[in-house]
Amino acid sequence: MNTRIIEALKKLEIKEYIINEKVTETAELFFVKKSLDVRRMKDSHLYQVTLYREFMQGEKKCKGNAVATVYPGMGAEELEKTLETAYLAASFVANAWYELPDCKNEPAPEYQPAEKLSKASMEESCRIMTEALFAEDTGEAEDEPFINSAELFIVSERVRIITSAGADLSYAKKKVNGEFVVQCKAPQDVESYKDFEYKDLMADELRKKVKRTLEYTKARAQATLAPAAGKYNVIISGGYMRTLFDYYLDRSSAFYVYAGYSSFKTGNNIQFTKENESYGGDPISLTLKADLPYSSEAIPMKDRVLMDKGELKTIYGNARFSYYLGTEPTGNYSDISVEAGSLSMDEMKKEPYLHVVNFSDFQMDSLTGHFGGEIRLAFLYDGEKEIPVTGGSINGSIFDVQGNMRLSCEMQEENGYSGPFAVYMKGVNVAGSEA
Amino acid sequence: MKVKNSEYIAEKKPLLKALLSRLLEKYEYASILACDSKAMRYSVSKRAGSTIAPDGVMTERGFCVKIVDKGEAAEYSFNEIDEDSLNSILTKIDGELLALSKKLPDAVDEFKLDAGVLEGESISFNKSTDYEEDPEELGDEGILSLLQGISDKIAAYDERIIDTRATCQYQKYSKLFLSRNKDLQENIMWTCGAVIAMASKGEEVQMSYKPVSCLGGSEILKDLENNIEPACRTAIELLDSETITPGEYDCICEPDVTGMIVHEAFGHGVEMDMFVKDRALAKEYIGKYVASPLITMHDGAATIPQVASFFFDDEGNIGTDTVIIDKGILVSGICDSQSAAHLGFHATGNGRRESCERKAYTRMTNTIFEAGSSKVEDMIASIDYGFMLCEASSGMEDPKNWGIQCMVTIAREIKDGKLTGKIFSPIVLTGYVPDLLKSISMVSDEIKAGGSGACGKGYKEWVKVSDGGPYIKARIRLG
Repeated sequence: MNTRIIEALKKLEIKEYIINEKVTETAELFFVKKSLDVRRMKDSHLYQVTLYREFMQGEKKCKGNAVATVYPGMGAEELEKTLETAYLAASFVANAWYELPDCKNEPAPEYQPAEKLSKASMEESCRIMTEALFAEDTGEAEDEPFINSAELFIVSERVRIITSAGADLSYAKKKVNGEFVVQCKAPQDVESYKDFEYKDLMADELRKKVKRTLEYTKARAQATLAPAAGKYNVIISGGYMRTLFDYYLDRSSAFYVYAGYSSFKTGNNIQFTKENESYGGDPISLTLKADLPYSSEAIPMKDRVLMDKGELKTIYGNARFSYYLGTEPTGNYSDISVEAGSLSMDEMKKEPYLHVVNFSDFQMDSLTGHFGGEIRLAFLYDGEKEIPVTGGSINGSIFDVQGNMRLSCEMQEENGYSGPFAVYMKGVNVAGSEA
Repeated sequence: MKVKNSEYIAEKKPLLKALLSRLLEKYEYASILACDSKAMRYSVSKRAGSTIAPDGVMTERGFCVKIVDKGEAAEYSFNEIDEDSLNSILTKIDGELLALSKKLPDAVDEFKLDAGVLEGESISFNKSTDYEEDPEELGDEGILSLLQGISDKIAAYDERIIDTRATCQYQKYSKLFLSRNKDLQENIMWTCGAVIAMASKGEEVQMSYKPVSCLGGSEILKDLENNIEPACRTAIELLDSETITPGEYDCICEPDVTGMIVHEAFGHGVEMDMFVKDRALAKEYIGKYVASPLITMHDGAATIPQVASFFFDDEGNIGTDTVIIDKGILVSGICDSQSAAHLGFHATGNGRRESCERKAYTRMTNTIFEAGSSKVEDMIASIDYGFMLCEASSGMEDPKNWGIQCMVTIAREIKDGKLTGKIFSPIVLTGYVPDLLKSISMVSDEIKAGGSGACGKGYKEWVKVSDGGPYIKARIRLG
């Protein structure tokens, strides 16, 4: 099909293009308790052809682009019409001219495809991860937590990128992802939701995550009180750490900077200001991790330091916005690693605290800097004893806390995040009970 | 005008019927869903420029086979079919798909399904929705030109507006559902758009988002013009917003906030696949008061003509209008076929897939509260101190505990029955859903509904939905 697409592009005299071909195969299991409700498989094959067109709009030199979706087996007439329509559309997209990176067939040495997943069949992969999923689910008593329901996906993708500049790149990507819900019926009937994503058959990681969730859910079943409304020293841990760092990730993207949503500049300290530098927070060192060998624009992806002790080192982004800013086109990143902090979990817990381990949904608004979420389970320590609490919500601003944030030395790795397990923040607003 | 049939589906239909026939020889139940969908997104921004791109989730051509083999349900999704591939599709289903469960741990068993529940009565039709203006005829140039004009007007409103966005999205799709008793085809089109203004002060950027949507074509884009001034004014106002003192207040919810409460706080809790898993408190409240007697709630593809209207769902069940709460009493949930088989209930036309590549779940469609009899001005006048909640921004369901987590962008202060002009942002709504719904004391006499976004099941499985209702007055915990 690629040959037919390229022939059609030549016939239409389309000179600049990028073809992204993706072949996806999945095996999917859907459980209700320990009963398999539905099993699924998927074979999907798709081509996304991005077409670029240069033109003048008055004095302005423009480059427009549009994307055509091409299906395998498309007839010649429909294929040509699809590409031609998209190419015409590109002529109405009057964006300022930019240069596509000159990416040839460069190797991507840092990319390590999943070893165990590459060797195991879909059937075998399903068995290994299902065993891990239910390994800790052994309780039978009414007050014992159990897996209420779960979904498991084994995903195999083959990607090929062909560009008009001569690049012809291929890679395979495999992953295991899914979600599970843990329920505990007594003394209160409660549940916890968790999702997971691993780049290989990381059965032990899944097993540990299930175990931790079973423990937390059991604790939540004991929690009856909401914390009283007020300001707290808050600890947030687990998967929510990744969300917290979205502020730095989003605001250092070329798109945010070019659009004026962010004033970040490389060389500036984006964490500490004159006002907050004495607050004693841990300086953040954050690295962008390449989870693919090439971006969809064929840019070779590599790990890049984003922040070093709070100082911005990189503005990252796609070809267009990077060109506008005069920065190196790096491709877009979603995976990050963050260096360990200076405080242990035990040290974080020396003073009174509210440790939130489960939100219904935790969000970071990178535009306003606000973060928050409704508390499903937290542990409140008043200086004498620790009790589980549920209800109320966190409502903070990154601008208020980034100077005093302390990161844990304990680390975690999952869902594209490798870094401190927890963060400690002083004076965060909690909307809770009117005690 | 009516949305036309898909030529692609027409071409493949004989092959799909041949495949169905082969499957029915072997399995007690078999069905095939075929989809041909074109979904486009357009955006014009002062700073980020213009984009035209297919919607990555909604653009598809594909097929989903569902079979029941010895009571066990399995599905295979694919997007290539011709004469030569029929045997390989059958081999994949009979070999790899059915083998998936063979090696699972002994502790795992398999749910046995009565295949008869899935089939239903014999029915055949081919129906289409109406539109006034086809966005494909307006063309990419026409759509971008219209959006550019709107973007320019937003930018010119005030120097504090740092960026603008005018967007359009439409989906034109055809679906075919084949089973032993069913031969259904539908052709649907919806369109939506939005005006977004972004204003900044220091490091903080504030945004206002004003959408429009319809079951139909690009005729709705004309309404975007009316949203320019409100979006710009709100974004500027937000620059001087304050943080609210957490507490419980008398509130009036604008219809989009009502819609978010209907959808997020209550609607997800009556999706009956959650009943199967014992994950929804609503299961224990059928026949009981869960809301004020002023409240009647509906969901369905046929409830109102909006972006989630269709003639049959992704399991071949006819789209309906389900009354969920009748004058405060919870009377019914909504249900997909697989859950109906578990529960001994009936499918309500709410079995929806993100695409042919995904599993069907119980999903909402168009979800609303009915109108009441109060006037909005009387509702405001009735409040000594409280807030008007505006611009729903996000929400998260909690069917298990009926905990509310909804966010709105603005709370407008009301003092002595009048709006003071003072605003607070952002606002988190918390509390217990029935407490909020039972506290509703006034309901306005008109409803508004819209569907500019998509709804996820948890954090995935995005489907188009609409929601809305009247202005409601309720006691709500804000943070």
